[in-house]
Amino acid sequence: MKDIVEKLDRAFNPRSVAVIGDKREMDYMWLRSLTNFQGRVYSVQIDEQELPGIEALGVKNYYSLLDIPEPIDYAIVAVPRAVAPKIVHDCIEKKVGAAMLFTSGFAETNTEEGIRLQNIIAEMVREADFNLIGPNCMGIFNPKIGLRHAVDQYYGDGGPVGFISQSGTHATFFSLVGALNGVKVSKSVSYGNAVVLDSADYLEYLAEDEDTKIIGMYIEGVKKGRQFFTSLREAAKRKPVVIWKGGMTDEGTRATASHTASLAESPLIWDAMIKQCGAIRVDSLDEMIDTVKALLYLKPTTGVGVGLAAVSGGQSVVITDAFAKEGLEVPLLSEKSYQEFATFFSIIGSSYRNPLDISSNFRSMDNIMRCIDILNEDENVDSVVLELAISFMARIFRYTPVFFDSLVEVLAQYKERSNKPFVIILSSGPAERQALEARAKLVEKGIPSFPDFERGARALKKVVEYYRFQSL
Amino acid sequence: MTVDEIISAAMKEGRVYLTELESKQILKEAGIATTEIRLAKSKEEAVSLSREIGFPVVLKIVSPDVLHKSDAGGVKLSLDSEQEVGKAFDDIISSIKEHEPAAKIEGVSVQNMARPGTEVIIGMSKDPQFGPVLMFGLGGILVEILKDVSFRIVPLTRRDAREMIKELKGYPILEGYRGQEPANIEVLEDLLLTVSDFVEGRPEIMEMDINPIFAYSDGAVAVDARVILESE
Repeated sequence: MKDIVEKLDRAFNPRSVAVIGDKREMDYMWLRSLTNFQGRVYSVQIDEQELPGIEALGVKNYYSLLDIPEPIDYAIVAVPRAVAPKIVHDCIEKKVGAAMLFTSGFAETNTEEGIRLQNIIAEMVREADFNLIGPNCMGIFNPKIGLRHAVDQYYGDGGPVGFISQSGTHATFFSLVGALNGVKVSKSVSYGNAVVLDSADYLEYLAEDEDTKIIGMYIEGVKKGRQFFTSLREAAKRKPVVIWKGGMTDEGTRATASHTASLAESPLIWDAMIKQCGAIRVDSLDEMIDTVKALLYLKPTTGVGVGLAAVSGGQSVVITDAFAKEGLEVPLLSEKSYQEFATFFSIIGSSYRNPLDISSNFRSMDNIMRCIDILNEDENVDSVVLELAISFMARIFRYTPVFFDSLVEVLAQYKERSNKPFVIILSSGPAERQALEARAKLVEKGIPSFPDFERGARALKKVVEYYRFQSL
Repeated sequence: MTVDEIISAAMKEGRVYLTELESKQILKEAGIATTEIRLAKSKEEAVSLSREIGFPVVLKIVSPDVLHKSDAGGVKLSLDSEQEVGKAFDDIISSIKEHEPAAKIEGVSVQNMARPGTEVIIGMSKDPQFGPVLMFGLGGILVEILKDVSFRIVPLTRRDAREMIKELKGYPILEGYRGQEPANIEVLEDLLLTVSDFVEGRPEIMEMDINPIFAYSDGAVAVDARVILESE
């Protein structure tokens, strides 16, 4: 076992957790998020007024961490900053596996007191070689064992995606928005100011983690740049690593300083480094989720040819622009494909050169699938893209869940038998509610969908680029 | 002189800016081709060195205190005869004395006039987070105005070197645009790798600027170079 796995294993897979300083004012968010934790949970609180609330949650409280009669693997510290050094000291004395400091108000405030307290903690932790996550963070999410940092996060089944985030919001959103898109977390960590443990440490850990097949990162700055470069290079050789770097503008770097006390870094160097390591750069939460989703669900390809099927003339034009803008190609199809289209395809109000405008054929599920199959068989086509026009269905022949369910069924069968990437664009138009229902149905069948052409095109492009880099 | 000797001599004098002469000697030691460069301390020496090197030659001021040689009138190009060399020597010395009266003058370097090629540049600087970083670009207007440059963190692999050359927007120029002599891409890759290896083993160097390099179909030569040492 690699050192880093041994070092951080108790933090990511704890069997006992202590929450220090949870209180009514926060609606006992930490203790409540541990309701389904599979190990033992303890509370540490000295405020008598908080004790009934803690007891009501069925959690045993102690006045000191040191009083807890068993070893503690993971400590959640949510105390005021002035007492944080004392609590961290207790954690060290108790030989806790790792402590996560939710407490903020340190170097990121750029105040003398904040910096002083952070330095006291950092020095103590370094001397003891103690695992401190944060401060100013949300810590670890491991759904498999019910270790959460928000009450609305899922538990039970985890997914294959590791997420490392300097921001607690982005870690939480990634888990929640990701789940709606079929992207579920294996383990994630929000790590804030990173005074001791930094992104590279977590990256090395998740690179070793067998449950993690893809790694996403939100980073504002790194402290140990050389270690990060080396770790990223190694990790990206083993699994896809998608990086969302916050603070890629001069104005943005000012914000990273007051958020996580990160130093200004050159966007050009970051860009070069991500490329050099074979990692994938994204610029927003949506793009992160789109890209991870595409990596998870799309069959690998290095080819740039796309076969496009949209459900109106106007859409067939702009879907082509969207994919071509990303540097993908929309080739003419083979003679054989055109001959097959000629046998059944109604060309009045439609066309099949590529892009396909399949509107006149859209009422027949058989015809939709014949179009998809022809694109799939065509040697010029590396990926197949289908627009599922929800508003079209809703307006022209009523969106019926039954029709859609059977369509999803045949699309899922197609996805199974094809070895080319299959991208669905769920363009909602005004039918937003139905589009969300449709997305959920597709997610259930493991079919990735994207809400517009541009996002689908970009995600596919990232996948193609990734496999191209890997194949060289 | 070896690289160590050059660096420790400069450090002893409290200098961080190496002269072009020193910088090119360092490059040569690192295995990078440069124009031939010799130091002349007098006009007579300049004339005899240019005879040895062969006309046309270039004369440039050698002074640790003159950073912008051309601006101070310290560079004379395309000198075709002994007379021209002699006059250029006098002109350079008097111009420097006028522009930078306090500058310590070590002499004038005599260099062969490199055959024109496609101009490229290689730079090394240190990123506060990631350490030494190499920059590659096409010389002249493309780098100055269009900022058509690429970066990689040291150490480079061959693939990194190849990609940082190919990702320039001006890459077709290196392939030989409109009948121009193409640059030898493999030679440029080797050059980047050599610089990467060299700076990796030389933490004393803070910054390096090889600009321009003339790239040819069968090689490449560093025409000007500047090395800056760490101040510690």
